[in-house]
Amino acid sequence: MKAIKNNYQTLIILFVTTFFTNFCFAQVKDTGFNKLSTIDEVVVTATRTQKSIGSIPVPVQVIGKKFIQQTGSQKLIDILQQQTGLVLADNPLGQALQGYPNPLGSGIQLQGLDPAYTLILMDGEPLTGRNAGILNLGRIAVGNIKQIEIVKGPATSLYGSDALAGVINIITEKPKHTLADVQLHQSINNTWGVTANTFIKNKKSAFQLFANRYSSSGYDLDKTIYGKTADPYVNYSFAAKAFLDISNHSQLQTSLRIFSQKQFNNYLVYVGAQPAAVDGSSNETDWSVNNQLQTAVSKKIKLISRFYVTGYKNNAGVFLQSNHQLFDKSFLHQFLLKPEVQLEIGENANQKFIAGAGYNYETINANRYASQHNFNAFYFFAQKEWLFNNRLNVTAGTRIDKHTLYNLQFSPKLAMAYKFYNNLTVNASIGTGFKAPDFRQQFLSFSNSLIGYTLLGANERSNGLQQLKQQGQIDNSIDITPYLINHTLLPEKSIGINVGAKFSPYKKVQIATNLFVNHINNLIDRYNLPFTKINNQAIYSYANFNKIFTRGFDVNVNYQPNKQIVISSGYQYLEAKDKDVLQKIQKQELVKRDPVTFVSNYVSNKEYGGLFNRSKHSANMQLAYSNKKNSFSSSLRAVYRGRFGYTDINGNAILDDNREYANGYVLLNASVTKNI
Amino acid sequence: MKKTILASVVICYAMFLSLSSCKKDEVPQVTIIEKTDSIKVNFSATTPYTFFSFKNDAIVANTDSATTKWDFGLRFTTFILNSHAYGPGNAAAILQNTIYSSVTTAPDAGYAYDTSSAQKAIKDGSWYNYNPTTRTFSPKAGQTFIFKTADNFYVKMELLAVDYETFTGPVPQRLIYRFRYTYQSNGSKIF
Repeated sequence: MKAIKNNYQTLIILFVTTFFTNFCFAQVKDTGFNKLSTIDEVVVTATRTQKSIGSIPVPVQVIGKKFIQQTGSQKLIDILQQQTGLVLADNPLGQALQGYPNPLGSGIQLQGLDPAYTLILMDGEPLTGRNAGILNLGRIAVGNIKQIEIVKGPATSLYGSDALAGVINIITEKPKHTLADVQLHQSINNTWGVTANTFIKNKKSAFQLFANRYSSSGYDLDKTIYGKTADPYVNYSFAAKAFLDISNHSQLQTSLRIFSQKQFNNYLVYVGAQPAAVDGSSNETDWSVNNQLQTAVSKKIKLISRFYVTGYKNNAGVFLQSNHQLFDKSFLHQFLLKPEVQLEIGENANQKFIAGAGYNYETINANRYASQHNFNAFYFFAQKEWLFNNRLNVTAGTRIDKHTLYNLQFSPKLAMAYKFYNNLTVNASIGTGFKAPDFRQQFLSFSNSLIGYTLLGANERSNGLQQLKQQGQIDNSIDITPYLINHTLLPEKSIGINVGAKFSPYKKVQIATNLFVNHINNLIDRYNLPFTKINNQAIYSYANFNKIFTRGFDVNVNYQPNKQIVISSGYQYLEAKDKDVLQKIQKQELVKRDPVTFVSNYVSNKEYGGLFNRSKHSANMQLAYSNKKNSFSSSLRAVYRGRFGYTDINGNAILDDNREYANGYVLLNASVTKNI
Repeated sequence: MKKTILASVVICYAMFLSLSSCKKDEVPQVTIIEKTDSIKVNFSATTPYTFFSFKNDAIVANTDSATTKWDFGLRFTTFILNSHAYGPGNAAAILQNTIYSSVTTAPDAGYAYDTSSAQKAIKDGSWYNYNPTTRTFSPKAGQTFIFKTADNFYVKMELLAVDYETFTGPVPQRLIYRFRYTYQSNGSKIF
């Protein structure tokens, strides 16, 4: 057995400077930096086969372990938002209120699309448990990540629903040699992270055990408001993996992952008109078992069988402090079972044919849904790669999805890359994507107790209306029969085009650029039913309405003058607009009313700023220094987010006035890492 | 043929009107009353309505709810009119997607009445955008209410803003509606 290397790391954050304007919260960011991926780095997400990044015809960014470590960051979202084109975005349903963080959390906006349109995978398998479209990235322990692969542009042809804007695949470590590793992380707000990691590597087997405890006391930005701005929490992550060589031709890989978090809540509510303090907790549990058997049937044929099971539970409850009575509780339970087989034919990594088929069994239950729902889905995918003259790579693929809730979905994709010179490759791809209507849009059955409106998912419309009528909440004179047929929501569909180039004018300089256009149809939105409840409050449901597009480009430049220093920077230009709004502007149907002078005018094309919460300009820049001899590294980085639409103030629900924007901001971070 | 000529005459007349309306400031017509006003309205679907009279530019007492003294009533975001289900008057309304200043004539027909409590002339939710983030009701820009008053005079009205009255506690007590209107006191449809 090899000597066990003890590695005790202390991360010291030298200084952290943060500039904030209107709508940002003064939370200190642990920091990070990235660099452009080198051409021979191997990625799997883009083609579902192991492939070097230089020969992939779609835009891919890779964040390596080294860089994650050097950042000292324990938060995945911080690492991600420092990548070009990945913007931290609040859920469109619940933006920050009065300086409070968004209750629904923040996610990653990719190519100008909301967090719900990016698929998040862990070792190639989807994570479940999205709250209003946002997956809490805090569930993923950073200490166990080998690399993060970000594929931009639709990847539905390989991964199915949700991969409209792209895919973020978090790949965990594999044991290469025996070692034990302990890390301690400390930062402000009494935040502590302890990580223990063990690899045992034998001739025919390898094992990994990983455990992490992370806790924070939260923080309070406004002492005049009862309760903390961010509540304290503690979470535990545990992962166990085994790799077995069953024979010369087959390997078995099995892994178990458990995450559990308890957040302590304490805030003020009103009982009648009297304020009362409540406290309680939110408990989040997330687990998965991932088995994979790889069999080399012959030299040319490989068979991969996967069996993936995952579950997510979120239970929250708060009690009145005065008498310990239950005030409010909520839950969300989700379960997914996913067997899949994949066939790989071909020896050359650039000429492979793959085909796969799988099945999803999914259940979901939540307190705002009428009952538990079960779904079945089948899918099939195939992809072929060709290499011509050692210069032109063409990849064509498609996927077919059949789900209980919607029609057969057919999602083709075509991509190509042409190597002009060894230092210049141009690539182009066109693909389609779809996003299945989410559970909320389908099954919500909820009446607001304070104001009294009712929200009904498209599949609950009939039941919900009948119930309201029976309860006398809808006037007898109203004919609800036309609405007793459940409205079927169609999946949201997209077409995305990406054209880019990778260019290395000198050995030490790499430039990558990508132009993108995404058109999305059938966007799902809320609408009012044409009658009200007896309390005059609206009844809402969901339907397919809008058509939007996002387009822009990004540029990444990386300069490595010597082995110690990396300088890199990135920029994204983005336009994201609603096509229906553009049409209305054309027809002079959209009017704005100045909130001060009350003068009304037609909105012009020039005034229309597009979708809310999108920055036209965003950029990042970093300077990293690392000295292997002294186990010392440091980084300095800046993330800029240009101004973005925040809220409508002139009565037309679109972004068309300078006062409707939030100011841009810069986050400046520095970190120093020293291995002892 | 005759109809075409008539239509073009009407168009010419309308054009003439829109031209002449520019000069309105110089030669004010006494029959037209232009006002900007604000009223406070209960933020609750169960408390009394606030009644308003265009002619007097004033709130009407709730005790006068069974008279023709008021034209519209408002509570929360619900408009009622003094007709059929709610009053003895003849009030009616049209919600038009036209900028206030461009409305020069009240339509001849198409007025809706409060025929029943479930069939109101002005549908709740039709005239505002609700922002769940800021919890604001902002009247849709470019919409003009055209009213026939309880006693058959014509009014065009634009809602300018809906704000919360300062409140303590969990629930707002009252909304403040700010609006402007033009009342044609000679009974004609021309503003």
